[in-house]
Amino acid sequence: METRSLGDTGHESSVLTFGAIALNWLEQDGADQMVELLLDRGVNHFDVAPTYGDAELKLGPKLRQHREDIFLGCKTQARDYDGARRKLERSLDRLGVETIDLYQVHGLEYDEELDTITGEDGALEAFRDARDEGLIDHIGLTSHGNPQLILDAMNRIDDLETVMFPLNPVVVGKDGEDHDYEAVLERADEQNVGTLGIKAFAEGPWPPTDELPEADRPYANWYEPVDTPAEIEERFDFAAAQGLTSVVSPGDPKLVAMVLDAARRYDGMDESAQRSLVERLRHDESPVPEQLHH
Amino acid sequence: MDVPETVTTALEDRPVAGATCLEAGAGVGNTTAGLLDAGARRVYAVTNDADHARTVRERVGPGGPDESDRAALLEADLRDLPLADDSVDVITAHGLFNVLPPESLDAVASELTRVAESDCHLVVDDYAPLPDDAEMRDLFSVEDAATELADGRPALTFYPPAALRRLFAGYGWVFDRRRTLLDPVPWTESHVEAHAEVARSAAERLPDELGGPLCEEADRLVESIGEESVGEMYSVAMRLAEE
Repeated sequence: METRSLGDTGHESSVLTFGAIALNWLEQDGADQMVELLLDRGVNHFDVAPTYGDAELKLGPKLRQHREDIFLGCKTQARDYDGARRKLERSLDRLGVETIDLYQVHGLEYDEELDTITGEDGALEAFRDARDEGLIDHIGLTSHGNPQLILDAMNRIDDLETVMFPLNPVVVGKDGEDHDYEAVLERADEQNVGTLGIKAFAEGPWPPTDELPEADRPYANWYEPVDTPAEIEERFDFAAAQGLTSVVSPGDPKLVAMVLDAARRYDGMDESAQRSLVERLRHDESPVPEQLHH
Repeated sequence: MDVPETVTTALEDRPVAGATCLEAGAGVGNTTAGLLDAGARRVYAVTNDADHARTVRERVGPGGPDESDRAALLEADLRDLPLADDSVDVITAHGLFNVLPPESLDAVASELTRVAESDCHLVVDDYAPLPDDAEMRDLFSVEDAATELADGRPALTFYPPAALRRLFAGYGWVFDRRRTLLDPVPWTESHVEAHAEVARSAAERLPDELGGPLCEEADRLVESIGEESVGEMYSVAMRLAEE
């Protein structure tokens, strides 16, 4: 599988990152097999979080067995020093490892949070102390919030080495600052910050729960995913062709094998085919009957 | 409103900033919006379709999503433009030519050339003829048959890029570059339905024994096609040779 430099971290990440939330939906044997499959196919970057049910615990055994082969990303939603420190120690304990390669501020959404994180007794101080102690190696940030907030965070956090954010053809097709994740990608490239793409396989929101109760959804993802090999492949190709370091796999284990297959076969995507995908989804989302043209 | 990537891609290597522009065949104003975004000094959006004129007027008018005092909507025939000779720096025809029947081509090319400044840029974006095995091609055939019978002219004609290059070469335009905007072209369910609707409404103006089978075939094709990604949308850029 193709690998790409993860910013200045010195790590060469596989173009597919495993979103380990998928392990939460498997029994331990299945989780072990999933990790073996991923490693066998060349995936070397895993991403987990304490909020993903049992995922940390289920990742633990195989992670410990193959610790040298896995670049491990983890994250915390704690915004203050003590909370972040506690969460980090808990994750290390649940995973059963000495260090986490990449520790990320998880799910940044509001300006005030950024103030807290970067301020005195904020989470970043805890991250930096942990880095000095050797508990983590690199600092990152994840967000599906406003791109302008992510750009602001990149300005304010000098030692930020990776950013994780949504990128898919629907987002690329939308103009305006609120959807301008391409600006994040551009800035990250300028600053040599590693980029991890999420929501690459999102088709759209689930129908309202009165139409489709949560318990009746066929996938564990919190959005409705594309789920045919052809769609998975074009979505993977699109995300990888935007220039992300790595594309994060969707959260449902049923989709992982298809995504792995697409990632292994990835060999670029013509720009005209990328535009074709953007154009198709632009019309799907907002059909304008009187507009016959692209 | 979002400017389609087809438009931004076609315009990105053209000198639009500060230019006086003409969008020939304004549609719903996507290219007008793209020209405004790219810094056009002035955009004349021309259409002879009353619905499109209203849509574009609302879009760029006061309170519209792309409100601009740099845009003007002209409801006019492209064969007779209310613009002075040598007055336009950039002309766009995005998805225009496929709705022009062959007999209009010369008059339109001649009129666009008249209003073009020497050294004017022209961008023609359109669909290449669809491959023989495309189901969309069958739907366009039904649409064209119905409109030809009802109105005496086809709804659509897909010109190969070389044909339009040669047309404009005859008026002094020099080929600059060609790009592929879409490959394949995504004909979504809403496109399929919209084209079927054009076919049906023309067929309804025909005697039953003629219109009935055309409607049925349009319905069948909508069902059968669903959506289809096929064909190419191209962009050809030309420049008017200086006199």
